[in-house]
Amino acid sequence: MSNTVTILGAAALKVGKWQGSADAPTQALEHETLANLVVDAMRDAGVDRREINSLAFSLPRPYTQQKYFGTFMANYLRLPCDGSVSEIMGNGMTAGLAFEAASNDIRLGRSKVALALGVNFETAISAAEHMMSSMRTTGDVDFHVPFGFTPISWYAMDAARYIHEFKSSREELASVAVKNRMHASLNPIAQFRKPITLEEVLAQPPIVEPLGLYEVPPRSDGAVCLVLAEEAVARASRRPYVRVKGRGFFHEGAHQINEVPNDMIALIAAQTAGRAAFAEAGVAPDDIDLAEIYAPCTIVEVLVSEALGFAPRGHGARMAREGETTLGGRIPICTSGGLQSRGHPAYVTPFYSFVEIMDQLRHRAGERQVADARLAVTSAELGNYNAALVHVLEAVH
Amino acid sequence: MTLPIIDLNQPRSYPPRVSAFTQRFWGALQDGRFETTRCADCERITFPPKPFCPHCWSKNLTWVPLRGRGRLYSQTVVHAAPAVFRAEAPYRVGIVDLDEGLRIATRILCDAPPALDAPVEIVVLRYVDGPLFAARPL
Repeated sequence: MSNTVTILGAAALKVGKWQGSADAPTQALEHETLANLVVDAMRDAGVDRREINSLAFSLPRPYTQQKYFGTFMANYLRLPCDGSVSEIMGNGMTAGLAFEAASNDIRLGRSKVALALGVNFETAISAAEHMMSSMRTTGDVDFHVPFGFTPISWYAMDAARYIHEFKSSREELASVAVKNRMHASLNPIAQFRKPITLEEVLAQPPIVEPLGLYEVPPRSDGAVCLVLAEEAVARASRRPYVRVKGRGFFHEGAHQINEVPNDMIALIAAQTAGRAAFAEAGVAPDDIDLAEIYAPCTIVEVLVSEALGFAPRGHGARMAREGETTLGGRIPICTSGGLQSRGHPAYVTPFYSFVEIMDQLRHRAGERQVADARLAVTSAELGNYNAALVHVLEAVH
Repeated sequence: MTLPIIDLNQPRSYPPRVSAFTQRFWGALQDGRFETTRCADCERITFPPKPFCPHCWSKNLTWVPLRGRGRLYSQTVVHAAPAVFRAEAPYRVGIVDLDEGLRIATRILCDAPPALDAPVEIVVLRYVDGPLFAARPL
């Protein structure tokens, strides 16, 4: 019998451009930024720092000068730990896996309180230079990269295939970006908050056809600290908290494309991980009040909404255009503004999903509050959703 | 059978590494042949060529030719390119399902947006420093 994991506190940096150029007179330093958030998150949780047993960090970007960042932070915070201290890496799933590392120490009884935390600073490096590294993460270095594939080019090919198979359109897909910006306009920590129209989205310069600038993620800096606790600690705090009710993971054993031709846009990993998470939670997609999906591009949100059972196959884009995934709709998706508008500091992006769920399930989301939100879903991925990590989360008041 | 060869008077922007194992593939490609490995035990083919069979993990392999024909599964045009590809942008890339039942990703040669599911052929791009392959509509 494993212990139940809860999220009891959270603090997050407003997503944006924080990293200065190397020759700026002062620098925004990752450890100072994160330490501030640790203090804030622990105050939010109402837990004494001496109760912390474990620290699970997302790996910082290679541009972070301070290496061995996790052990440096244990020193900076003067925080002895008898559970574990680790830095986790797994591409876009990095923060999801760090959340899992912290959760596992609680499940196994090694920790009563565990922090899942990290910082992703990268905006001082140009996109063209950053892609020299990121292109080697989303493809075979010798058999894909020499042709010029970029991380989001794979999602663009998902979009082309989706439009082809389901008679969808760029306009339908682009409506997701409009919806996400509207949500971000209500989120104080979102990177881009000025509402946009469908016409504006369609008029942006192409990035990876058919997707334009507003349909792909921006470059972003961010930092988050989450306080995870076993349920007895959460209950004793007498504060509202979030319970991890179900969890599913699946890696399909393929990277970007499956060498045996399959239905690339079915997102088999998201389907499988989602089913496992719903089964463990004992709930169905229809029971869910909102979902915070890891979706770098508009098309990905559509495909994941279908894979997780929030929309029938081929109907996700239409459903988004008709407002069903907008605040007030049948199943609000990415109420934070999603990766396009809340921003995408990739190695901590899944942490931001949990931050949004904490706001929503504790009924602190202000103007973007989903009425009576009780059950929520998050997802994280790597590759072209070749792997997926899905959580079902429940409000406890 | 040999593939159509297009000679290009420039080096590759991001050359693939060649191993003692894959040099057979790249050497054949330079001569217009598109080859991969087949498992001598379970008889399944794989791409890229591998020193073992990913289906049954046998190390008992043979090299076999591929016809170089398939269908275009999807495609895009990359406008925002990594630094080394900047001079080539915008360029078209795509996913091709080969007739032998293998899915590959490669450069797509054509100006107008190609129809998905339409037949394509594989061609050799012979750069001054070595080959790459690409697909173009038939």
